[in-house]
Amino acid sequence: MAAPDMRRVMLLRAISLRNQRVLVVFLALMVGAAIVNALASVYFDINIKMSSELRTFGANFYVGPAKGHTLPEKDFEAVLAAAPAGLIEAGSPYLYGSARSELERIALVGAQFSQLGRLAPYWQVEGDRVGVDFDDRNAMIGRTLAARLELKVDDTLTLVKDGEKRSLRIKGIIDAGDASDSLLFVSLPLAQTWLDMPHTVSHAFFSLNNRAGEVDAFAEKLQAAHPDWSVRPIRKVSANEGEVLLKIQGLMGLISIVILLLSTLCVNTSLMAIVSERKKEFALQKAIGASNRSIVRQVLLETLSIAFLATCAGCLLGFLLAQVLGQTVFSSSIGLRWAVIPITFALSVTVALAAGVVPLRRIMYIQAAAVLKGE
Amino acid sequence: MKKDMANAIAVETRQVGKKFGSVTALDGIDIRVGSGEFVALMGASGSGKTTLMNILTCLDTASSGEVWLDGVNAATLDEEGRREFRARHIGLVFQQFHLIPYLNALENVMLAQHYHSVVDQPSARAALELVGMEHRLEHLPSQLSGGEQQRVCIARALVNRPPIIFADEPTGNLDEENENRVLDIFEKLHAQGHTIVMVTHNPVLGHRAERIVYLQHGRIVDAPEAISATARQTNGSRAFAMAASESARP
Ligand SMILES: Nc1ncnc2c1ncn2[C@@H]1O[C@H](COP(=O)(O)OP(=O)(O)O)[C@@H](O)[C@H]1O
Ligand SMILES: [Mg+2]
Repeated sequence: MAAPDMRRVMLLRAISLRNQRVLVVFLALMVGAAIVNALASVYFDINIKMSSELRTFGANFYVGPAKGHTLPEKDFEAVLAAAPAGLIEAGSPYLYGSARSELERIALVGAQFSQLGRLAPYWQVEGDRVGVDFDDRNAMIGRTLAARLELKVDDTLTLVKDGEKRSLRIKGIIDAGDASDSLLFVSLPLAQTWLDMPHTVSHAFFSLNNRAGEVDAFAEKLQAAHPDWSVRPIRKVSANEGEVLLKIQGLMGLISIVILLLSTLCVNTSLMAIVSERKKEFALQKAIGASNRSIVRQVLLETLSIAFLATCAGCLLGFLLAQVLGQTVFSSSIGLRWAVIPITFALSVTVALAAGVVPLRRIMYIQAAAVLKGE
Repeated sequence: MKKDMANAIAVETRQVGKKFGSVTALDGIDIRVGSGEFVALMGASGSGKTTLMNILTCLDTASSGEVWLDGVNAATLDEEGRREFRARHIGLVFQQFHLIPYLNALENVMLAQHYHSVVDQPSARAALELVGMEHRLEHLPSQLSGGEQQRVCIARALVNRPPIIFADEPTGNLDEENENRVLDIFEKLHAQGHTIVMVTHNPVLGHRAERIVYLQHGRIVDAPEAISATARQTNGSRAFAMAASESARP
């Protein structure tokens, strides 16, 4: 029989045979880990959800037909003409339609390429954006559609119509996180020609400077002058909502800190009790030749092992807790964010170590002779 | 540990004193224990036996005087050095059966090997066999009787084959039967060449050693006649108790 590793034997025995104190340390660390894990999950999720709301930043003003599906292209010019100087930062008419590629039917949209940079600044583009409004040889494509058609940057997509063909080079693939991901973007004139809808648009988006209430006033003015239009400023996550979210995040951070402090205190108290209960044991170990270092290492190993198990359990519990929080507070499920797990572990280990400093120092100062004295 | 080393000095103190604040626990102690000797240390409660043992086992340091162990001056050792010296040169047996509660008998013995060098299960078993505990290897201390626990402690003290074994009232918490068993073990170890220093209250046990050193108020004294005379003649435990209480009188 191979000689057993005494360190491992002692670790396993100490943990499995020890009284409820280990359980208290375990629970304190587990609850701490669970709450931190849950709050961190919610925090990251809200952050990501919030930034996807903020993504629509760019276009913040819509003009479309009140009835039917299209507007004459000159109406777009009319909006531009009606706007006070400097209000409109960017704007583009959009024309939607359906076209056939050699493979399948696809949704196509014509727009002014030169404006898309400011109307959709949040796009992640692989390859390049098309820069010129009248470019009818290049196109951009949403990533979902590109994947379906197995197209890469610089590939050619051919549109077909009644024996007519038009080849377009894919200059950029768009990752927008919205419906744009399923669209083929071409120049407006090309869309109008190909769809046989000359001088026609579906609607227009603008990016307006939101100077003190000017957007609402402009919307009212346009709507009054053109009852056949539907004019809408697009509501963003307002500054207020953003602030509330920030405050909630701050609150969650604060709660995490408080919980971690409480958990540290609780673990510290338990470790102190454990050390004083095991004083004789440690004194004996010293008497038979154990160094301070080896005893401290042994207790550290015990504590960190408990912390590890507690954190594993805490992560599971925390994920469930995050769902409850997400549903009750934010009415949304919370995704599993992997980054949360190392963060939880790091904090748990920090708690365990911080809680252990004083008890471990106590161990070093145990005087074997005084503790082991008979009587 | 061989008999041919009997002339070597295992333990020597020169004018060792120990003060706890204003209390003088030891005063001018001169002791020599030859290698392979079996010495009993006797004296009334509070006479300084444990204090002396703690100094001899490097668990404590003397306030004055010199302590030489196996040719090493204890004063030259720092705390880490004393720990190491203890692990290598000294086997310890206490009055209370100090065992690690969550380790079984065999593991408790192997723990001493672990702190000494490496774990060697067969020799740990052999040590337990020597004290007649081979049938209780897997028992936890709580599952053993007092006598059995103390025998495990002795096995632990001797497993690393230390040159000197110190035992502070090893039978103080044992009944007469177990007392005798422990002494039998010490005699066996002595016969094998171990140096043994044992503290005891009991004159009968004391006289099973080769030599008795008497302590009184922290000083070494000649044998109080009452004790030695009574202990040599009688065999009844009541007489020993009387003798012990005699010697305890200031
Ligand atoms: N740590 C200590 N602090 C103060 N006094 C002590 C300490 N240890 C022992 N003493 C005193 O030293 C004397 C000898 O004690 P001790 O060596 O334990 O005696 P014994 O073991 O012979 O009964 C006693 O008077 C005791 O009160
Ligand atoms: Mg004593």
